[in-house]
Amino acid sequence: MEHLAIPLLNGVVYGLLLFMVSAGLTLIFGMMGILNFAHASFYMLGAYFAYALQGAVGFWVAVAVSPLLVGAIGVLVERHVLRRVHRYGHAHELLVTFGLSFIIVELVKLFFGNYPVNYRVPADLDFAAFTLGGLDYPAYRLFMGIVAIGMFVAIYLLLSRTRVGIIVRSAIHRPEMAEALGHNVPRVFMGVFGVGAAMAGLAGAVAGAFYTTSPNMALELGVLVFVVVVIGGLGSLEGAMLASLLIGVVTSVAVGIDATPADLLVWLGAGDLAQDAAGILSLKISSLAASLPFALMLLVLLVRPSGLMGEKE
Amino acid sequence: MKTRAILLAAGVAVLAAVPLMLPDGLVNAAISMLIAALFACAYNLLCGYAGMLSFGHSAYFGVGAFATIHAMNALGGAGLLPTPWMPLVGAAGGLLAGLVAGWFSTQRTGAYFAMITLAIAELLHAMAPQLKSVFGGEAGISSMRMPAWGLTFGSTVEVYYLTLAWVLASLVLLYLLTRTPLGRLALGLRENSQRLRFLGYDVHRISVLIFALSGMFSGIAGGLQVLSNESANYVVFDTSLSAAVVLNTYIGGVHAFLGPALGAALVTFFGYAVSDLTQSWLLYQGALFVLVIIFMPTGLAGLLALAGRFVQRHGLRAAAPGAGLYLLAGACYAAAAIFLTELLQRLFSQDYRSLAQAAGAWEWPAVSLFGREWPPLGVTTWLVPATLAVLGWLFWKMAAAAVGRLRDAAPADRAPAAGAMTERRLT
Amino acid sequence: MNAPVLSLHDVRKSFGPVDIIRGVSLDVGGNERHAVIGPNGAGKSTLFHLVSGQLRPSAGEIRLGGRPIAGCSPQAINRLGLARSFQITNLFPRLTVFENIRLAVMRPRGLQYCFWRLADRDERVRDRGIALLENVRLSHRASAVAGELSYSEQRSLEIAMTLASDPRIILLDEPMAGMSREETRYTTELIREVTQGRALLIVEHDMEVVFTLSDRISVLVYGELIASGTPEEIRANPRVREAYLGEEATA
Repeated sequence: MEHLAIPLLNGVVYGLLLFMVSAGLTLIFGMMGILNFAHASFYMLGAYFAYALQGAVGFWVAVAVSPLLVGAIGVLVERHVLRRVHRYGHAHELLVTFGLSFIIVELVKLFFGNYPVNYRVPADLDFAAFTLGGLDYPAYRLFMGIVAIGMFVAIYLLLSRTRVGIIVRSAIHRPEMAEALGHNVPRVFMGVFGVGAAMAGLAGAVAGAFYTTSPNMALELGVLVFVVVVIGGLGSLEGAMLASLLIGVVTSVAVGIDATPADLLVWLGAGDLAQDAAGILSLKISSLAASLPFALMLLVLLVRPSGLMGEKE
Repeated sequence: MKTRAILLAAGVAVLAAVPLMLPDGLVNAAISMLIAALFACAYNLLCGYAGMLSFGHSAYFGVGAFATIHAMNALGGAGLLPTPWMPLVGAAGGLLAGLVAGWFSTQRTGAYFAMITLAIAELLHAMAPQLKSVFGGEAGISSMRMPAWGLTFGSTVEVYYLTLAWVLASLVLLYLLTRTPLGRLALGLRENSQRLRFLGYDVHRISVLIFALSGMFSGIAGGLQVLSNESANYVVFDTSLSAAVVLNTYIGGVHAFLGPALGAALVTFFGYAVSDLTQSWLLYQGALFVLVIIFMPTGLAGLLALAGRFVQRHGLRAAAPGAGLYLLAGACYAAAAIFLTELLQRLFSQDYRSLAQAAGAWEWPAVSLFGREWPPLGVTTWLVPATLAVLGWLFWKMAAAAVGRLRDAAPADRAPAAGAMTERRLT
Repeated sequence: MNAPVLSLHDVRKSFGPVDIIRGVSLDVGGNERHAVIGPNGAGKSTLFHLVSGQLRPSAGEIRLGGRPIAGCSPQAINRLGLARSFQITNLFPRLTVFENIRLAVMRPRGLQYCFWRLADRDERVRDRGIALLENVRLSHRASAVAGELSYSEQRSLEIAMTLASDPRIILLDEPMAGMSREETRYTTELIREVTQGRALLIVEHDMEVVFTLSDRISVLVYGELIASGTPEEIRANPRVREAYLGEEATA
């Protein structure tokens, strides 16, 4: 039982982290129809800004300020880049964000070097929360999870209970109508983009200390975030949460499994099939863990193309 | 029409003469340029013609590459096919991979489609290191070209001509494909796939077919690369190759058939030429791409076409000052950006930062750039890019004025504005 | 014609709690020209969407030539012999007029997967395309870009594309919108000519067109058919006058 508890917990925390990043992406897509390729690079910027500020103002201020900086960049990007290509259609918007993601990664390499930087968990958070099965469970992981849940609650309340939230939701469904009613829809777009970027930045600022902070982190997470929104359904916050947790748990649990699919077949009583197993079936599930999210995505596409909680296209 | 035929013939002649004019090292670069050009045109069938933006196209290039390397090693090293026919295996691999991946991807459109293509490529990238027998692990798989048809295929020149033949043949086939009913339907898919449904077409099946054909030609490119390098490695499934083909294609221009080839050739060439000189080559590529997308969506090919029409309308002598000024402006802006980037790159490099820390706050050492020393706190250092930028702005204004005068002098013409380059008619 | 080529039976469509179509039953004979009229928002376009496969009915039956087609895909319905035009221009905007009509013509010729022959070489496709364009008086604009045509020229192209598959029944959604009197007269005659031996279901606001062209008229108000019959019967029907024609008379 203990063997399962830790990977499960890790999976939930990682899933919550994925959610922090994909929530912004799914909101931006739901509202503006733009798939922001650069979203994962906002995550990376969050980590790097926090790292850069940490020396001067300490960990807590850095983690608080970094998302604001990233949000500001998001606003600038929307105002000066995205708006210019809006008239050319969604394909161009997609390409621009793709180009931006490229540029942001290269700029990070320019200013910070093409290698991981030493952004670490601060000493006062570097303790074990509890022990499970002889292993210490880092408190920082719980901290990440708490930040993610806090963010989800805040966004949910903001969207459903406040006046701003109502305006944002109306702009998602009927931008022309919202504008006709006098709301400044372009400003709403700008705000949503900025908030989405800030959310990703917060995720980066918090996670970068625990995981590696390097120019690669944008890509590694970026693809997973896309998988999350395909599985969860673009535009659905609940779908993003569900899919993030699913992927987080499945990946974390799989990493700990040293068995192979062939063993699984034996366990299921299909030993003969396992006999002839070669190639994929004889690989350890732990090695396949990285490919599982993509396989899941393809499965969802087969069975339920609009995602677990998405609307039919 | 005739000018086009003459230009094409001249281009082919130049390409054929390349090994006679250049040293081996550059011939290798030319081979890479040809392969990149084919890959970009294959990609454009899906992206520019059918309007489906794939961000994971390296998958089909890679599958073609690995299929070819295994074919080369088959039958105890003798090879499944004679060397000149090897790219056919790449084609088969790319076609098959394209069919399967296309079936999944084309279930959705737009952003979803893009994400699925990315995820499929990443799936391959994640699984490849694990399947060592197929993909060879860290070191990859190597092979040797076998002699055939009286040639040893040991020299770069022979490989160049083989590559050239395959690339030219493939480009011709691709072009003809765009003129078939299926090729016309690709345009219909891009313009209005919904209407195609109401006209009775099975849009999904057509999309899968086009995807598979694009994969097939990408597989040929992958096979050619393997023939040239005599090795295949799973890094080919990296996103950098997928990203590169997107950038190359759009920089070249998606609305002209040879646009992507032009973009790929230029970018590959510059990559060879400058990658030793600067660490920030990818940054320049990305910046060029974003500039093209925002200001010149028709790409370099579109720009050339625009310039060509402009010269035709006003004559070379009249058009020259305006065009020259624009070029000058562009050069100044580029120089300013490059200077700034290279300066910053050196200032922030690890070596410099340790030097700076050792030297203390106001004693930072000078940065060596373009053969001169630039003190980081010196005024001249920052004045250079600033002046260049201002010069660029001035030249730009002068160019716009010159062009404006020309246009006012001949008001009957409907010349498109230099800033708004939207493509109205597409073939 | 004995058996109707298109028949709707108690068709309903709701979007959530909103009922758009509330039980429409309608038959169109194989040779019949049938107009659907009604005030704006009555659900005429929705009816077209239901018949052509864009929407699935919430309840009720739709049969084409006796075959149930409710909820079938648009391409399947088209292949069974139904073609429609669109109220909002739905062309291939950046392609030429000729390319537009060629795309419509290729499918009935079975050329959808053909990648081994050049499209330009296919004379039958080209001739059929040009003939269709001549019918709608667009052959002189064959190399113009579709998105740059005038509104009425685009409507004509829509009609030409709808006819390309030689359908059993044609659905025309406000084909005359934006046309001048002369163009309207020409197009009405054209429609009468090309619908010989075919069924036609047409939505139009121009009453002159409706009354001269149609064999039967149905009146749709708030998702329900309040009357259906010959032009004379409709003209005399008091409910219709009140709901619709009365507004026309005073307008």
